[in-house]
Amino acid sequence: MGYLNNSIVTVDAILTRKGRELLARNDGSFRITQFALADDEIDYTMWDPDNPLGSTFYGAAIDNMPLLEAFPDETQAMKYLLTTLPRGTSKLPILDVGYQVISLYQGASIAITPQTLNYLGGTQTYESSGYVATIGDVRLLSNFNGVGINTAQATALNSTTTLGAAVSKTVVGTTINMTATTTNALFPEGITQLSTSLIVIGRDSGARIVIPVQLNKNTNC
Amino acid sequence: MSFKRLDPEDFLVSADSLTAPAWSNYSASLTAATMVTHASQTGGPSGQYYTNVYNLIESNPNAEAQFAIAYGDLKGSGSFLYNSSIPGLSPSRTVYGQFVNLLLGEDEGASLNFGGPAANDQTFIALVINRARYKQAIKPGSFQLQLSAFAPFITDNSLITPTVDYTNAGRRYTLGSGSFGDGRPFGAQGVFGYLYPDVGVILLNPSAVGSTPTRPFNNTANDATNFEGRITRFFLQSEETVTSDFVFCRARNAEFNYSINPSFSVSASAGSILYNDFIQNPVTYITSVGMYNDNNELLAVAKLSKPLKKDFTKEALIRVKLDF
Repeated sequence: MGYLNNSIVTVDAILTRKGRELLARNDGSFRITQFALADDEIDYTMWDPDNPLGSTFYGAAIDNMPLLEAFPDETQAMKYLLTTLPRGTSKLPILDVGYQVISLYQGASIAITPQTLNYLGGTQTYESSGYVATIGDVRLLSNFNGVGINTAQATALNSTTTLGAAVSKTVVGTTINMTATTTNALFPEGITQLSTSLIVIGRDSGARIVIPVQLNKNTNC
Repeated sequence: MSFKRLDPEDFLVSADSLTAPAWSNYSASLTAATMVTHASQTGGPSGQYYTNVYNLIESNPNAEAQFAIAYGDLKGSGSFLYNSSIPGLSPSRTVYGQFVNLLLGEDEGASLNFGGPAANDQTFIALVINRARYKQAIKPGSFQLQLSAFAPFITDNSLITPTVDYTNAGRRYTLGSGSFGDGRPFGAQGVFGYLYPDVGVILLNPSAVGSTPTRPFNNTANDATNFEGRITRFFLQSEETVTSDFVFCRARNAEFNYSINPSFSVSASAGSILYNDFIQNPVTYITSVGMYNDNNELLAVAKLSKPLKKDFTKEALIRVKLDF
């Protein structure tokens, strides 16, 4: 990791871990069809609307800040998406999945149905395009799929898993189903809890929430 | 809406040819002082077939093979026989058949043709450039070899030949006397050799470049290592075509003016925008561009070197370049 040279504006692009995985899969899933913009690293509290030099200088503390290079970990990049909302919006969309932390014992299941608050005038909405859910380490789950969005791409996505090392998995749906693995081999000697994170993003709103996921070992087995 | 679909005209695939000095650290040339052989290689099993030339001594962990020198002989002289009761079958004979097969597409009974006395066609010295050094091809016109006790500079004829020969091993240029691509015929021993840029091989006619082998049988004449000692300067450039995928990401004036960044709101749990000014005139800063597939999987990510200001009065066009 390093800083990018910001004496000129450049764009430094890299493939993510997920991009490399899909490229290796060679099944057509590595196909760029859309983009999003994000403002990771920006702290808007540094915007100074009281700057005595005038509005030109409100963003002086942000305008020329150096930025870090891109991260190849897809769960650590593009955290805070820019979103298109009607002018005059006073409240930003927020996701609510009903959990602050998801804690599962081996073999236990849970279904999550995210909702979006403050979106398009509604206080509580289910987004019509559904939600993207990414689990940081898919090994912790024996089942991870999304239901409710019945496009061919979503169906294919929900049925594909890459085996091996700790890789993420992404699914699409209005409800996300998770079942914790029963495999004991993942737990190192003396460790009874494993952790990862679940990232849920509204496909329409761009709202994002990160929920810690804990997998607890059934010690009575 | 946070994800914007790309239109077909937002993509551009462009292929660009890149050339650079072939040797490690982009050195323009190798000299006698910067070429070394490693005893562990020349004394090992592979040393019977070729001699690797490195840029640094064996004990230096940064040493990289630059090219290899192989000696081929139709009669199998210049190296020990595999089996003393079977004459003519030795590593130099294997090397000869290997290159005849590669360059001519013939079985090992065929022979090369340097255009001089027929006896000259029975031996050759091959300079096999390390793949990492020549990348996709040797750049024609960049090859120039200077040998001790041999006045002419050896180069290819890519600048002066009206036609390019296409062989079983791709393009072939004839070597002659000159500098950087204007090699012309010299002497009566046939051409100096051939440059095969697409397979990274330079084939030399030993008799024409003053290295006539003594051709002892069942003995190692060490022709490859001896030839390495004659090289005083070796120029070469690599050539590769890099295919780039340009993606043009367009943010219209009414798009991407709000952010889910937690610092954009007073409280992340309530979602109220941080400043009242931002309700009618929001300002965001673009720092990252994410490339997604239809399933919203993040395939590639691009970071800007400095934040790019965006509001309802601004449009942004960001060109992202992906190299393959």
